[in-house]
Amino acid sequence: MLTAHELTKRYGDRTAVTDLSFTVRPGTVTGFLGPNGAGKSTTMRMLLGLDAPTRGHATVGGRSYAAHPAPLTEVGALLEARSVHPGRTAYHHLRVLALTHGIPRSRVDHVLGLTGLTDVAHRRVKGFSLGMGQRLGIAAALLGDPAVLLLDEPVNGLDPEGVLWIRNLLKSLAAEGRTVFVSSHLMSEMALTADHLVIIGRGRLLADTTVTDFVRASGAGTTHVVTPEATTLARLLTAPGVDITTDTPGTLLIRGTDAEHIGRTAAAHGIPLYELTPGAASLEAAFMDLTRDALEYPATLEGTAA
Amino acid sequence: MTTAALPYRVTPARVLRSEWHKLRTLRSTWINLAVTSLLTAAMGAGLGAAYDGSGEGGMDPVMFALLGTQFATINLGVLGILATAGEYSTGQIRATMTAVPRRLPVLWSKAAVLTAIALPLTLATNLVTFPLAQSFLDGTDLSAALGDPGVLRALAGNAAGLTLLAVLALAIGALLRSVPTAIGAHIGLIMILPEILAMLPYDAVDNAVRYFPGKALEVLTTAQPMPGAATPGSALLALLLWTGTTLAVAAWVLRRRDV
Repeated sequence: MLTAHELTKRYGDRTAVTDLSFTVRPGTVTGFLGPNGAGKSTTMRMLLGLDAPTRGHATVGGRSYAAHPAPLTEVGALLEARSVHPGRTAYHHLRVLALTHGIPRSRVDHVLGLTGLTDVAHRRVKGFSLGMGQRLGIAAALLGDPAVLLLDEPVNGLDPEGVLWIRNLLKSLAAEGRTVFVSSHLMSEMALTADHLVIIGRGRLLADTTVTDFVRASGAGTTHVVTPEATTLARLLTAPGVDITTDTPGTLLIRGTDAEHIGRTAAAHGIPLYELTPGAASLEAAFMDLTRDALEYPATLEGTAA
Repeated sequence: MTTAALPYRVTPARVLRSEWHKLRTLRSTWINLAVTSLLTAAMGAGLGAAYDGSGEGGMDPVMFALLGTQFATINLGVLGILATAGEYSTGQIRATMTAVPRRLPVLWSKAAVLTAIALPLTLATNLVTFPLAQSFLDGTDLSAALGDPGVLRALAGNAAGLTLLAVLALAIGALLRSVPTAIGAHIGLIMILPEILAMLPYDAVDNAVRYFPGKALEVLTTAQPMPGAATPGSALLALLLWTGTTLAVAAWVLRRRDV
């Protein structure tokens, strides 16, 4: 269990995170989403005690990260920025971390095997590819067999095989009852991995919800309609909150109303429909909507005041 | 078998082992130490062989044999700076401070490990370099034996001084968090600042400069105390204060600043 209480972080006069509160629960993968620069990495650093919050506090399992006698067994972290001396071998990097906690050599060998690094364990990190470096970061995170995993953009720069590996790893870690908190700026990736979402924009909480609820509530569903009388149908459906676009002649993409309403309207006016397909809401579209609002809000305020 | 709580926990002794492992597993450490030792010995032998006995006199035999420790001052300083500031440039510091979020044990351990490696190494190097240089100096005005008054004290004093300067550099590295900036500050403090201050026409400044780190090391390296210089005891105390104070400030900053 990971909790942020009204976290605020200011660097000089720039505020990176404002009054951010959320709870990450065990047994599920929680996606931490936001556009680049939204404050995700800053929040993760505050959760680990690397950065001190200007206000508020963060706890892991009920107390601050630094208060734990064996922090690596509480939280395993993969930070976005590389955190390894390039001149040391993968094995010795993990040994250095293991020694601080009295974690035995056998556990180092185990996590090297788990992340597929056994063959390169005695090579210096300098020569590692991005993917191998990322695997080493995961190995370090798993070293203490932690109850909470905190991963900042773990799929960044990975090849498709690596992405799939991370996805399955995160799901299996959550299935073991661990708390998995993973940040990303890619909604599509989270759609495949996460069950729960914490979304931030400009350092503020925008949503704390499940993936399913988020999509349902966002109204981002698009219905795909093919009809020979596209213009007529579009005119009949036009209403506040309904968004109609077209990409090829005779095809309508309708948002803001459902397939039932479209079908009934067409039937009432004798318009033949060749296709009426309710598309599953795209998580990406919902995410864009939400963050666009967060960005536009201050501009609207200024407009009103003028 | 009962299920006991996990034995894993961070202890000062474990952090010490980790820091020792960290230093030991970098190739650069061993290169640095070998170069430090070999340069000192080679300089001692070279200067001894080249000495033709026509010196102005007044040169201290230990100071003469250990002129190569000028390199050791810089080399061991760099080793200390790499141990602290180096972690910020590689990003290793984030892994380190995530494993030991209380932070301070890391700084103490780094200082302890550096001391444990620098002191025996410089002492052994000095004990080899002095007789090596002396083997060329028999019959000259610089001829001296290990048993002569002050010689062993100066050889040990130099080793202690070099070690304290290395720890001072480590603390400067922890404060400044940048390898080139810290190296510049270290060399500036040890070698350049005292020379500049000594040019000022104030007695008080002259007195103070005698206790600057570089000057204190010179005092510690002489078998026969120079007239007007600090005593070896007060020089050692001054160096301990310089290093101790800088380390304390580094610790205070490490506790408060974001990583």
